[in-house]
Amino acid sequence: MKGSHLGELEELVLLTVGSLYDEAYGVAVMDEIREQAGRDMNISAVHAVLRRLEEKGLLKSQMGGSTNERGGRRKRLFTLTKAGKEILDESIALRNSLYQRIPNVNYHFST
Amino acid sequence: MNHNPPKWADRFLRWYCNPKYIEEIEGDIYELFERRIEGQNPGVAKFKFILDVLRFFRWSNIKRTNSKYTTMNRFTLFSNYLKLGMRNIRRNMVSSMINIIGMAIAICFAISIFIFTDFQLNMDSFHSNGDRIYQITNYVDQEGNENLWSDSPITLGPAITEDHPSVESFARIEYRSSVVKYKSDVFDELVVFTDPQFFEMFDFDMITGDRKVLYDRSQVVITKEMAIKYFNDEEPLGKELSFKFMNGTAKRFFVGAVLEEYPSNASIRFDFYLPMENFFDLGFEDTQGWAFMTDATFVMLKEGEQIRSIFDSFDRYKEIQHQSNPEWKVKSFEPLPLAELSTKSFMIEGSVSGGGHPAGRVALLIIATFLLGMACFNFMNISVVSASKRLKEIALRKVMGSVRREIIYQFMTENLLKCFFALFLGALLSYFLLIPWFDIMIPELDIEFRTINPMTLVYFMVGLLFVVGIISGAYPSFYISKFDTITIFKGKEKFGSKNLFSKIMLGFQFFLAVMTIVGCFIMTEQSIHLGEKDWGYDPEGTMSVYVSGPGQYELLKNEIINHPAVNRHTSSDLLIGRGIAKVSMEMGDKQVGVRLIGASEDYFETFQLRMVDGRPLTNRAEDRNGNVVVNEKFVEAMGWERGVGQTFTYDSMQHKVVGVVQDFHYYDFFSAIDPVMIRGLAPENVRYFTVQTDPFKLSELEQYTREAWLTIAPDDPFDRVFQEDVFDGFCQENQSNISILMLVTGIAITLACLGLYGLISFNVQGKLKEFSVRKVLGAEPKAIVRIVGKQYIWVLIISFLIGAPLGSIGMMNLVVNVFPEPKAVTPLPFIIAMIIILIILIITVAGQIKRAINVNPAELLRAE
Repeated sequence: MKGSHLGELEELVLLTVGSLYDEAYGVAVMDEIREQAGRDMNISAVHAVLRRLEEKGLLKSQMGGSTNERGGRRKRLFTLTKAGKEILDESIALRNSLYQRIPNVNYHFST
Repeated sequence: MNHNPPKWADRFLRWYCNPKYIEEIEGDIYELFERRIEGQNPGVAKFKFILDVLRFFRWSNIKRTNSKYTTMNRFTLFSNYLKLGMRNIRRNMVSSMINIIGMAIAICFAISIFIFTDFQLNMDSFHSNGDRIYQITNYVDQEGNENLWSDSPITLGPAITEDHPSVESFARIEYRSSVVKYKSDVFDELVVFTDPQFFEMFDFDMITGDRKVLYDRSQVVITKEMAIKYFNDEEPLGKELSFKFMNGTAKRFFVGAVLEEYPSNASIRFDFYLPMENFFDLGFEDTQGWAFMTDATFVMLKEGEQIRSIFDSFDRYKEIQHQSNPEWKVKSFEPLPLAELSTKSFMIEGSVSGGGHPAGRVALLIIATFLLGMACFNFMNISVVSASKRLKEIALRKVMGSVRREIIYQFMTENLLKCFFALFLGALLSYFLLIPWFDIMIPELDIEFRTINPMTLVYFMVGLLFVVGIISGAYPSFYISKFDTITIFKGKEKFGSKNLFSKIMLGFQFFLAVMTIVGCFIMTEQSIHLGEKDWGYDPEGTMSVYVSGPGQYELLKNEIINHPAVNRHTSSDLLIGRGIAKVSMEMGDKQVGVRLIGASEDYFETFQLRMVDGRPLTNRAEDRNGNVVVNEKFVEAMGWERGVGQTFTYDSMQHKVVGVVQDFHYYDFFSAIDPVMIRGLAPENVRYFTVQTDPFKLSELEQYTREAWLTIAPDDPFDRVFQEDVFDGFCQENQSNISILMLVTGIAITLACLGLYGLISFNVQGKLKEFSVRKVLGAEPKAIVRIVGKQYIWVLIISFLIGAPLGSIGMMNLVVNVFPEPKAVTPLPFIIAMIIILIILIITVAGQIKRAINVNPAELLRAE
């Protein structure tokens, strides 16, 4: 089913949008990912992922107000939808539950 | 410093980008650019900007039409366009017909010329070994001029074949005239001697017989036409024909094979092929060795070999040739591939393959392109006019959800539909009229409505349909579809108020028309001038009969001269109009080509040549030997004040001029007249017996002579020439040139007028309200005429001023190449062209002007 699966990059972008709250637009997301995750993405890839997430219903967007930056061009601001928040919760819960099950004492970490 | 991103990249982004996303994408790219410009050097920032623009160029960002339209049933829409197109053609019958017929005429011309050119370019393409066959021609130095000759040393073919393993075989061609006899039928024929390999090299189809037949030296190969001529419906194979040659020898041959009719694109076509060996046996002049030049030498290479492989021997051959024939030195050998032979044959002296001068072909191609261009311009203009009546339809379509592209498609479809009709009509015209007409006009070619490869014609027609349809339809459809719905409905669309483009097109069209008309008239004037040229003598009532020598001459003369119809008679060795020998003579310090005729007494009276000075030749002893009559050109070339009484040396003999005759034409009108010298006839050289009678008694005398001939020389053909007919071939050619030119002129004028009609009716249509207002305010009809006229008069004047000189310069260049003594250009062609254009202009425009004058203001100005 569409939207049921979340790719790794999509999850990262989704989280970033969430963390930026109401300042999430293309360039900001790209910068945040670079700072937080150390990953260089190019802007067109960011746009593509954002649009895909919106199509899946995990993000929604509206145009922001115009400012003096960018030659007066407005930004498209993305926010998490309820479904987006839920899927993040699910994925983190899944990770946590799996993480909890790692035996604590005798486990030999494979190198 | 203020840096901006590269403009073109930005423009490209805006062009492809879906408008829904443009703002955010552009915003982000600009933000990044601004940030980079601060941190990095501007060049890198610009480069990265471009990179970003290109990265955004992906499917999801590209502008697309709404998916609702793409799912629409294209076929239904298309058939709707077709239906509407048909309705529109029917509704505007007149303008549609003008359009279609104009286009059809041009297409007809284009198709015909294409077929014609295709035919000319595919001469000899049917020989399967064609790419390996070359004719070895050679350049010969003649009085400082290098001429390309077909004639080559008779030993060349065998020498090349022997010296080079890369050469498979050779075939020489040597033609001779011969009297051919079967039972009681006797005809003069041109026969060729050729090597037996000829029919293995060339793929001429045989009806019966074997390709190796000429290896048997007693056999002859004839064409189907000859088989019918001599044997009628009898079986030709094995029949015996006797050949008598000019040197008096005779030999019998058996028909060994009969050739199928030559394909229309065969350039080498002879009637009789005899084995070469017989040529050496028959005791003609010295025919052995490198000195004798045979008429043509063909060689065929082995599969996969290059012609270059034989080049290294040429120097050696040249040396041997120079030693054996110092009079006629070959400068260089020039192998020509078979495929190029007919296109180059006009340059080759004594060529064995026919083929016209390319000037005519090129001229026809240019004319066809001009006509097609004019027709396209017409089409555009008239399409725009007729579309002006459909503005509301377009607006309504737009309101109902049509996008611009669909309106473009619709108009394109309609144009293609019209072009299709035009193509169909044009092909029919070409098939039934123009091609058969060409066939009649150019008798030396058989032209049929087909190309060598039938698919070429189909491709050409389909290509023509799309090229013409799209070129002529593009402007109207793009122009009309651009109009805004609201302005159309408000009635504010100023249609045709400032159509500079149309005016330029009209100007260009008239420019082409004027150029064609002036050019054609100049050419026609020259041709008429040529046709009316004085022959220099009076040919009426003169008949000549060919005799083989003094014996026949005496017998015939005695039979004929007592006939009461004979006014005068004479004899000569060569006949005016049938080619006259050219000899070289020293005049002062230079060599001049002089035509030499031997004539007996009464020659000048019989041919009715005009003496300008002195007296004609008589039968006095000194007139037979030493005294000569020359023409005016001769006197001029010698630089004499007065010809009579002068003496000169020719052939180591003193000659005295006793008379000067007016220049007369002895061959055709295309070549200039050379100096002519007429001297006494040695009795053994007599070849023509000429009688002069009253024109109305000529046929009676001919009948009488023919009967007399049968008793005198039953073994020789009765060969008589009416002097009046000697230039018939030339006159016909000239006449057909005039007809072709007239046709082209007519078409050019028609097309130009159709174009003007379209544009003016378009203009009047758009200005009817203006005229109404003017009339209400008291304008005279004169004033209205001026308004209609003034827009176009300048266009016409300018196109005339540019077109007429260009046309005349272009045509004069052609004229001086074709005609020996071109008549100076008179103002007549210009005046005629101007008058014709004006008259037709007035006729075409009158209707429209009448419409403008008769406009009823009450009806037009009434508010809705």
